[in-house]
Amino acid sequence: MLLSRVLDEKMASLYRGGKIHGGVFLGRGQEALSVSVGLALRKGDIFAPLIRDGAGRLAFGEPVLDAVRTYLGSALGPMRGRDGNVHRGRPREGLFPMISHLGAMISVVNGALLARRFRKVEGIVGATCVGEGGTSTGAFHEALNQAAIERLPLVLVVANNQFAYSTPNSRQFACRELGDKAIGYGVTAHKVDGTDLEQCLHTLGGAVGQARAGGGPQLVVAELLRLCGHGEHDDAHYITAQLKHSRLGRDCLKVAEEHLLRQHWADAAGVRKFRQEAVLEIEQAVALVQREAGPDPFKENWCALASRHLSERFETPDPAANP
Amino acid sequence: MSLTYLEAIREAQAKALADDPRVFIYGQDVGDFGGAFKATKNLAAEFPGRVLDAPISEDAIIGAAIGAAIEGFRPIVEMQFADFSTPGFNQIINHAATLFWRTNVPCPITVRLPSGGTSGSGPFHSQSMEAIYAHYPGLIVMTPATVEDAYSMLLEAVAIDDPVIFCEHKYLYYHLKAECLPTEAMPVGKARIARAGRDLTIVAYSAMLHEALAAAEEMAGEGTEIEVVDLRTIKPLDTDTVVASVARTGRLLCVGEAWPWGGVTAEVIARVATEGFDLLDAPPQRLNAKDTPIPYHPDLWSVHRPTARSIVAAARNLLRM
Amino acid sequence: MKQIPIIMPQLGESIAEATVINFLIKAGEEVAADQDIIEVETNKATMNVSSPGKGIVRDFKAKLNESYPVGAVLGHVEISVEETRRLGLDQPASEEAQAPANGGSVAKTGDTERKRKVEPTVRGLPVPAHAAGASYMSPRMKARMDELGLHAADLAGVAGSGAAGRVTIQDFERFLANLEKHKLTSASTMRVAVADAMRRSWTRPIATVALPCLFEALLAHRKASHPKAGPALYALRALAVALAENSAVAGRLIGNKIVHPPSIDLGFAVEAEEGVLVPVLRKADVRPLSELVGRYNELVELARQRRLPNDATGGSIATVTNFGTFGLTWATPIPLPEQTLVLGLGAGKKVPHWDEKKGQFVPVTEANLTLSFDHRVLDGGAAGRLLSKVAALLQEPETL
Repeated sequence: MLLSRVLDEKMASLYRGGKIHGGVFLGRGQEALSVSVGLALRKGDIFAPLIRDGAGRLAFGEPVLDAVRTYLGSALGPMRGRDGNVHRGRPREGLFPMISHLGAMISVVNGALLARRFRKVEGIVGATCVGEGGTSTGAFHEALNQAAIERLPLVLVVANNQFAYSTPNSRQFACRELGDKAIGYGVTAHKVDGTDLEQCLHTLGGAVGQARAGGGPQLVVAELLRLCGHGEHDDAHYITAQLKHSRLGRDCLKVAEEHLLRQHWADAAGVRKFRQEAVLEIEQAVALVQREAGPDPFKENWCALASRHLSERFETPDPAANP
Repeated sequence: MSLTYLEAIREAQAKALADDPRVFIYGQDVGDFGGAFKATKNLAAEFPGRVLDAPISEDAIIGAAIGAAIEGFRPIVEMQFADFSTPGFNQIINHAATLFWRTNVPCPITVRLPSGGTSGSGPFHSQSMEAIYAHYPGLIVMTPATVEDAYSMLLEAVAIDDPVIFCEHKYLYYHLKAECLPTEAMPVGKARIARAGRDLTIVAYSAMLHEALAAAEEMAGEGTEIEVVDLRTIKPLDTDTVVASVARTGRLLCVGEAWPWGGVTAEVIARVATEGFDLLDAPPQRLNAKDTPIPYHPDLWSVHRPTARSIVAAARNLLRM
Repeated sequence: MKQIPIIMPQLGESIAEATVINFLIKAGEEVAADQDIIEVETNKATMNVSSPGKGIVRDFKAKLNESYPVGAVLGHVEISVEETRRLGLDQPASEEAQAPANGGSVAKTGDTERKRKVEPTVRGLPVPAHAAGASYMSPRMKARMDELGLHAADLAGVAGSGAAGRVTIQDFERFLANLEKHKLTSASTMRVAVADAMRRSWTRPIATVALPCLFEALLAHRKASHPKAGPALYALRALAVALAENSAVAGRLIGNKIVHPPSIDLGFAVEAEEGVLVPVLRKADVRPLSELVGRYNELVELARQRRLPNDATGGSIATVTNFGTFGLTWATPIPLPEQTLVLGLGAGKKVPHWDEKKGQFVPVTEANLTLSFDHRVLDGGAAGRLLSKVAALLQEPETL
């Protein structure tokens, strides 16, 4: 969680320093929930994280360098500059890169789970996250329904951080609470306080376990508050002070830190040391990646097909004339 | 033994299922029912567990196919009508088409689109969407016009590592028959000279190929020899064959069942104008459907899209220029 | 110590600029890396610009309440060598990465749109290609003709079957195929060159005026001269003298400008195998006839042998041609494409001439002088005056 938070902070500062092209999206406030998903999954499972799942990615095993390289546009990153920021992943390793259309990744995880079933691979789970905004899309509906019909081992985590960009819950859904949708789909619901790491670990562990054991799709709804803008370009002025000071608005990192200290699992110096180590790791990664070159437009093959022999040349042969 | 275009598609799917354990079929009513057009008749029984019924969720259907493809499978997705692929459009163009370019992991899905109009089918059961999909990089778009091509090109589509939009024509399903299945085929991406000629080139694809051939037959009686090119695949489009034909005849008429704006006919003419300008002895012409939604009433429908009749008129007009 | 710029960051997807509303740090103060130093406001939010590194703020280029575009340099921070290394700025590649590569897509603040009147490049109404009366040559025709080295003049004999009578590629190929049935020989390079020159010349409106010229004086002068000059040279010298008085008539019209001849260099036509060569006598107005004879004869010989040096041809402003040597009394030669005038000399004939003094017809030798000219440059009057002047000069050959 801490590593993810430090990474986020660094990306934000690089963004403000004009070093990052395009948008920066942070998971500030969502670390406890996200890391619990990543930790509950195993190698061999499938994970399609969403925008604020930096912590979950790290827990699942995504290297820090992947994040830094994708944000800084290094040609050595997993997306090779062809996509950026949170649109990153390693599909062959079970980490699916998102596309921007919310809800779209759920059915893709379903398909992967179907494939594993065809192969008679047992005991695996597919997890994906959306925000409460994502639950409004048709894609979400179709995919959850599909997973339920096929009784797939899907864990669908909904992080209700109270705002979809600037849209509050009251303009996003009208049901009493999101978990109630589970009945409509015929799946199991779980509810959790997203600010409490201990609860998150427990709930996600349970949900993933049930899916793995054949319990069908599990809908986990977590309540928390988004502690940053929708993106770093957004100052989130629409989030009221009242919300920020409520229980919902607690910083899960602080909550976890206090718990650590209370339980004597670490002392203040130890916590400082954790942070220092995280900062060092991130700084080293950034320093390394800042030396790396971006993709060379003149060396790109500019071919979107795997079947090279079927691709067409539309431009005149001079590469300098057309990027 | 003779088989229809539809049966050829069924045979191809059977062969794909039999030859490659990674192939499965997913779509609405494809299982025991055998598909709305019976394109998958008996396949669920022959290949248990590999022909799955989907809910009415085109987005989720395509999405699931993509997920399975990432895991190494080669799904064939049947959209009930091309017109209904639009709810799944996002997954096709933003996910399937971009996956390889973004991640280097290919997406070998085949999306079958029953396309084109039949009398009385109306605005939402008649569309030809090849140009819309062809516009997006990362997709292959096929438009087989013959029974043989329906068979061999579908097999090829399954074998290709990229997402293929397979536009099969509903009118041809039952109206086109062949004696037997082919044992070999032209490579995908190559157009075919369906009829050799001298005075004018008609470039067509899918059902319009047959209208063009009928028009050519009629005009042969007047001493005009029309060359007809069957594009077979829209993307990639075999510009070389088209240009070579225009080199022979000097006159080009491009015919398509879809709408004019930005359609296949526009693309063909753009290519010939750019690469074969000096071959044109007259301005290139095109014939498309009228720029309105496809009408339901047979009388309206009969003039809405090109027919042998209107093709003859257009060809005559071009010859007079 | 190294100076690094404080850059206005990308603040949102559609944000192009922001206004500085507060400086949180003063110049000269120390700052930590990523510390907020300037507050800026966009139309969506208030945000902070942070320091690109740990060091001392050197200066602020930005002013309070002014707007700056994304990517603009707002000031500088001076950083230590270790900090330079820590930030990875010691490599040349990363130095370029400091300023975001917004390129030409960033709109400059305060750049007012230059209002320009857009002029269409092609005026007039487009005419449908197949409309009656509108004829065109297709790209294929043009390409084929280029390939064969043909021009529209070569198609004069082809009746077109296309819209508005245009020649289609089928008409053309049929025409060519038909030609194959006739006896065909190759035209020499000279022939093709002359054909090209005449075709180009003919694109102008050419007219001809003529005047019968008494040759008695000329013939008498010639009889008494050594070496002897031919009648063409007399005519050339007379033309030179006449043009020296008014060279504008030999000028060329290009657009609305008359290009005046730089010097009275006159050419004369010599028939060579398969064509005509035109050697040139330079500054023919300056040297008298007697001095031109030698050079003239030399050039004629060289021309006949096709051994004319390059500097002996080209650059003449008018040409003289003696078609009389073929026995012709009348002809309308075509001026060279780069010239406005050609003076022609017909064969001398004995004709009766009314002698006013004697009151009777007397036999005289008379030859026609013709002047073909580009009617865009001069009219019949000027042409007539020039020709009359030449004829008059030929009555006093001793002055030439």
